[in-house]
Amino acid sequence: MITTEVPKKILLVDDNPLFLKMLSKAFSKAGFECTVAESANEAIRKLAADLPDAILSDYQMPKMNGIEFRKYVLKQPTLKDIPFIFLTDFSDKELVNTGLDLHAIDYVIKDTPVNVIVAKLNNLLATVSKQRELSELEVKKAAAALNIRSVPHKAPDIKGYEVNFWHKSFQDIPGGDFIDFIQVTDRFSFIILGDVMGKKWMAWFLSFSFLSYIRAAVRYGVLSHEYSVASILEKVNQIICEDEALKDILSSLSLLMVDHEKGHVTYAGAGDLPLLYYQAKTKKFESLRCSGLLLGMFTNVEYDEQQINMQPGDQLFIFTDGIIDYAVAGDTKSDYNLFAKKLETITDSRNSFDKLKQFLVKQPPASQVDDGSIIHVYKTA
Amino acid sequence: MTVALYMYTKQPKMIDIIKNQSNYLLVDVNLNEANMGNAAIFKSEIISMLDLHHKKIILSLHQVNYIDSTFLGALVAALKHAISLKADIALVGLKKDIHDLLTLIRLDKVFKIYDSFNDATKED
Repeated sequence: MITTEVPKKILLVDDNPLFLKMLSKAFSKAGFECTVAESANEAIRKLAADLPDAILSDYQMPKMNGIEFRKYVLKQPTLKDIPFIFLTDFSDKELVNTGLDLHAIDYVIKDTPVNVIVAKLNNLLATVSKQRELSELEVKKAAAALNIRSVPHKAPDIKGYEVNFWHKSFQDIPGGDFIDFIQVTDRFSFIILGDVMGKKWMAWFLSFSFLSYIRAAVRYGVLSHEYSVASILEKVNQIICEDEALKDILSSLSLLMVDHEKGHVTYAGAGDLPLLYYQAKTKKFESLRCSGLLLGMFTNVEYDEQQINMQPGDQLFIFTDGIIDYAVAGDTKSDYNLFAKKLETITDSRNSFDKLKQFLVKQPPASQVDDGSIIHVYKTA
Repeated sequence: MTVALYMYTKQPKMIDIIKNQSNYLLVDVNLNEANMGNAAIFKSEIISMLDLHHKKIILSLHQVNYIDSTFLGALVAALKHAISLKADIALVGLKKDIHDLLTLIRLDKVFKIYDSFNDATKED
């Protein structure tokens, strides 16, 4: 597992620009990413654009004071759990009591040496982080005990192919990506790669609902001798659109069916990134696109499928958006073509999965912005 | 105090109405990164706007340099809400990376995407 070392973000709010500058300098020096606001009003605007790990706010400010600002923050579902610390010019018992009612975590008197303020914040965030880790550990333990996984332990043995996959979680927390391999009969195997839109635990929980429907649709399809991946996608989409619990939850899906008897692969996609197909004969890549929309978007959507006649040495790369996302100089980007170009440099007619894996593992953790998954299918004979 | 709070709670301008015409609203999205951190607020603000005005929203994304999948989900949820009200959401000012991503995952078939605000309002 890769652990990302993302700098902690702090929002500093004070109407005194000099004090703000001094605080910002000290926190930046201590490795924090600082956002400053000279009023509560400005802080609210900045909170709408980005969420910090903690808020350090002055109490006495013109117009909207610290208490009013805190009340506003508490009313916002996405902001209310951000650790909040008051900065005060004096030790005011009444303020302390009011603040405690507003779940402020701590108070700092402005006369406190700035290095002590920074140390206090560091300790606070370490405690919050530890608490969060413990909660996550509990969930992980429960998931392990129930033996639920959205990514399998190992790749399957599929006759005539070598199949591998690589998955990385985001900040060591499971996300919306899911992978599955189903061998339904001696003749047919299915390869599944999906990505529930969203991040972290919520997306992870929802991925099981999608996976259950997809597994069921694959099995029913085979039981009724309906060997069409497009038709399976239509059914999965229909069920998901009718499930109230999944209202407004969307997922991409790449579904591939390997027919061992006829020796070909059939692919259908729902809002997924185009597959990259390397043909050993021409030594060139081709992008394989389907027209299907994301699962859960609209009912009665039609999906199309295409047959891929893989020859020995041919390789298929199926991946989620986390693979093409990256952060550079503080900005986040998605670049499918850049990843496609990288694949061109590392792929030849031998099984190129190890080289691909080396490349992916070497990506700096700080450049990761989402969970990412890639399945590699290599035709052997 | 209540009045003051009301005034300030109206201030978060993740989205700004730039123009309010009889048949559409032009709305600016003031985000550099449209991501998980701001998707929920964005969705609720757009849905409130749709409920209030019941008309097409033209979203200008010229300031947005990156959209993650959570935000795309929020955008689609807002579009579904618009459709249920017989309204619509159109997109203008997309950066190339974002336009490419929407095309790759076929969201260009779902959203009307225009190069400019003028193009977006031509049919209205």
